[in-house]
Amino acid sequence: MFFPKAMTEIELIVPSKDLLAVTKVLSSYGVFHQTDSSYPGAASGSANTWQEKAAVYAGLERRIQLLMQTLSIAEGKSPLSETEGIVDVEKIRPTVEQIEDEIKQVNDQLTAEKKHLEQLESTLHQLEPIEDVDIDISSLRDSRYLFSTLGLIPTANVDRMQTSLARVPHVFLTLRSDPAKPVVWLAGAKANADVLERAARSAYLNPVTLPEDYRGTPANIIKSLNSTIESVQKTIADLQARLEKLADARKDQLCDLLWQAHTSRVMADAIVRFGQLRHTYLITGWVPVSDLDGLTARLKQASKEILIENLPTFRYGENQHVPVALLNNKFLKPFQMLVNTYSRPSYGELDPTILMAISFPLLYGAMFGDLGQGLILLVLGLLIHNRIFAKGLQSLGLLIAYCGAAAAVFGYLYGSIFGFEGHLIDEYLHFHFQPLWISPIENILSVLSIAIDAGIILLFIAFLLGIFNNIRLKDWAHVVFGHTGLVSLIFYVSFLAILGNFLGSTAIAPKVAVAISKLPLPFAIIALVFGLLVMFSEFFRNLMEGHRPLIEGKGVGGFVMFLVQSFMDIFETVISMLSNTLSFVRVGAFAVAHGGLSLAIFSLAGAEPGVKFWIVILIGNIIIIGLEGLIVGIQTMRLHYYELFGKFFTGGGMRFEPLTITPATKEEG
Amino acid sequence: MASSGVSGYAAISARVRAMYSYLLSPQDFARLSDVPDFPTLIAQLKQTAYGPYLESLKEKDLTPRQVDLQIKGRLADSYYSVIHMAPENHRSLLKQLYRNFEIGNLKAILRGIVTDPNWERVRSVLFPMGSLTVLPAQAMVESGSVGNAIELLQGTLYEETLSFAMKRYSTEQNLFPLEVALDLFYWRQLWQEAKRLQGTDRDHALRIVGSLMDMNNLMWVIRYRVYHGLSEEELINYTLPFGFRVRDTDIRSVAAGADIASVIERIYPNIEGVNALLEEPRHGLPLLEIQLKRNLMKQCMSAFTGNPFHIGVPLAFLVLSDLEIQDLTVLIEAKSSNMPEEDYRPYLVRAELATA
Repeated sequence: MFFPKAMTEIELIVPSKDLLAVTKVLSSYGVFHQTDSSYPGAASGSANTWQEKAAVYAGLERRIQLLMQTLSIAEGKSPLSETEGIVDVEKIRPTVEQIEDEIKQVNDQLTAEKKHLEQLESTLHQLEPIEDVDIDISSLRDSRYLFSTLGLIPTANVDRMQTSLARVPHVFLTLRSDPAKPVVWLAGAKANADVLERAARSAYLNPVTLPEDYRGTPANIIKSLNSTIESVQKTIADLQARLEKLADARKDQLCDLLWQAHTSRVMADAIVRFGQLRHTYLITGWVPVSDLDGLTARLKQASKEILIENLPTFRYGENQHVPVALLNNKFLKPFQMLVNTYSRPSYGELDPTILMAISFPLLYGAMFGDLGQGLILLVLGLLIHNRIFAKGLQSLGLLIAYCGAAAAVFGYLYGSIFGFEGHLIDEYLHFHFQPLWISPIENILSVLSIAIDAGIILLFIAFLLGIFNNIRLKDWAHVVFGHTGLVSLIFYVSFLAILGNFLGSTAIAPKVAVAISKLPLPFAIIALVFGLLVMFSEFFRNLMEGHRPLIEGKGVGGFVMFLVQSFMDIFETVISMLSNTLSFVRVGAFAVAHGGLSLAIFSLAGAEPGVKFWIVILIGNIIIIGLEGLIVGIQTMRLHYYELFGKFFTGGGMRFEPLTITPATKEEG
Repeated sequence: MASSGVSGYAAISARVRAMYSYLLSPQDFARLSDVPDFPTLIAQLKQTAYGPYLESLKEKDLTPRQVDLQIKGRLADSYYSVIHMAPENHRSLLKQLYRNFEIGNLKAILRGIVTDPNWERVRSVLFPMGSLTVLPAQAMVESGSVGNAIELLQGTLYEETLSFAMKRYSTEQNLFPLEVALDLFYWRQLWQEAKRLQGTDRDHALRIVGSLMDMNNLMWVIRYRVYHGLSEEELINYTLPFGFRVRDTDIRSVAAGADIASVIERIYPNIEGVNALLEEPRHGLPLLEIQLKRNLMKQCMSAFTGNPFHIGVPLAFLVLSDLEIQDLTVLIEAKSSNMPEEDYRPYLVRAELATA
């Protein structure tokens, strides 16, 4: 739960004779994430053969899909209860070819007839707008003084073409205002033919080209065309009926063939990525440790002589190549979704989902503390989660529900219900409800100070998690001198002590900082020493890691640049420590703002508890839940992404994608 | 209810600002520009947000082209991320913006078919669009002819545009009409998508999209006139009548033969020395384009000030990311050919950052 599923890398040496049985196990069990172990070696000829086979199966699969598409047969699910494994190409191909032959003849005829119909209809479409024109259409072709062109043009180009001919006398008529392909007629003096022709061509006006044998008025041609169209449509209907009969007869057989070709293709694709030795195959990949025994048993059942080597995988070192399968249960899905939006955890690092599951509702509740509004959010979230209110947003629904519950708890602590607080509850709701802990609006400075304290604690946790992650990764240079290493942490503590000392007597002074400042330690000296260490942390990291040169750049210029850069580093560190800490003031500020917004609504509602009063309170509450609820959500997310995750979470993990014949259910997020 | 404003843009605004902070800083850029050679540039790039995209490259694959292709992966990821986080009713604009790369890929495929229909070669120049593409690229290259390749685009949004342009291709056997048709289609669609928005989103979208269009429209009309010697009616038909600062009257006056420099200076008073740039167009026009890109960059950066809850923020971020990649491409090319700084610096959009 705290880390991605433990994975183990396995290497299998499989005798050639057991290749198919083993591949079948690997691709049907759904726990094996394959890595490419093929390499150009002595036996690469065989790998090419599998590549060719995979291509043949893929081709067959496409052909069968095309046939099913032609016959309007749905692909459906696997028709077989047990995976058959790789089927011999020659067992499938003849049947596919036979069905193709049967269908091809009818289908080719159908395609040709449809194309013919399309041409006839296109000609008809071009002529319909000029049906009433009583001229022989062929006479336009042989005009002596007039340049004229009848054609189709993209609608978007019509205006532009007219603009382009603004300075040339011309006639431009839209004969048919088809939104996709308007039919237009452009005419002008033959002397301007080159300009008109260029304009027409550059506006993509495609001239209508009626066959030479079409003569007479448009009405005559249309009559003849309609009669031909009718006969072609009848032929098409007959051919379609023949295809329907063929579909009924071949449906089950095609479904079976498709599944066989698909299974074979998936397995052949997997084999292509196996490494081949003389008489054996090398297979490498990743398996969750929890599934290793099950897989091993099945593999040994499939092949008595298989060699299975299990390579230890460590959480430290270079592990970006280890696939990451997260372990969280369905109740943590919303937080996993938020973490994945930032980045997928890498194999070696802590999955921050649990931390987020605790801190997100906590911070949200602290900012949006209201018993009534929190319960509304809780109910709304549960409705969304259970697909009653909105579909496809289950995780978001659960997140809203958690936040609502936390807001309700804090509302109870703050003594706030639908914005009513203190005497307003007695006066308008007629019962007594005192804050169990603190009323933010009446204790503004205390609330802000508590918020900073909470932030300091969260930042400590983030620092410690950062150090913990680096210890697990055995990245000692970063454990000590990293951005969130020990040196930075001690500098932060001494920074807080100085801050606490400075603000000690004021109401806003964070208690944690004040408490640290009271410790009998020389914080000014510690801050100075550790400040210098932070300043030159890059130098010390290079020293520990053995990186050379220790300082980038050469000579005096390089050294001066290093000093300037180091100074900027410490400057940036101090600024970011201060801003990170103060950033949490917003938690208190929002808690106060919540009370303030409610007061604003009460002043709009007036003092008399009539109908108008309750309508304003209702609308006000809806606005607060909608607007403030959302803004608080964003602020909570921001605090996590910017202030916390940046301290210890790197991400960049690769998704665990096991080999399967049927598409696996994708992990959410 | 259409989601926009605070409700629609709160999350994406936070995310984009986080991503924005990972764009190369002036210090990063100065460091990259100062490196002595290509291998050092790659080593430095690995220390930036582009690092993860270069890790997978083996030593022997570290060619300028491969590196360029890999770093574009980051832009593709940014688009993917931004599109999926944007309010649903605004995604179509972002997707259309992203189609610029699909249009680029489509042109590359068609050029590949005409010059050397080798899939591996064509693949090496395609932008990594991921799942957000409708092009069956390999099948198109292997189809053997431009006509067959375009037939494979049936049912896609390019079908109609290309069906009109194909008639000209069949007659002229030249890809120019196909490419122009695709460009015009792309920008018209993008403008329509921007105009479909309302309120602040519309204003910001039209400003950024319009500025992009201004740059392209202006460069088209100049190039078609100077390089191709096209006639007025062709120039008008091959350009667009809308934009942010460049008006149709400007385009038409250039098409009609007006002095290009005075038109540009009127539209962009901050661009100096236009006359000198146009004296030797082969050298000057790319520099003029860089000046226009710098204007665009400023326009995009201004989207990050003031109210953050609008589509301008993600749009500007994506454009800035693209400009950053373009600059990195210049650096990669320059360092791999050991070009002195004074030769490549004028071609950097963020030239001032390179010396920060």
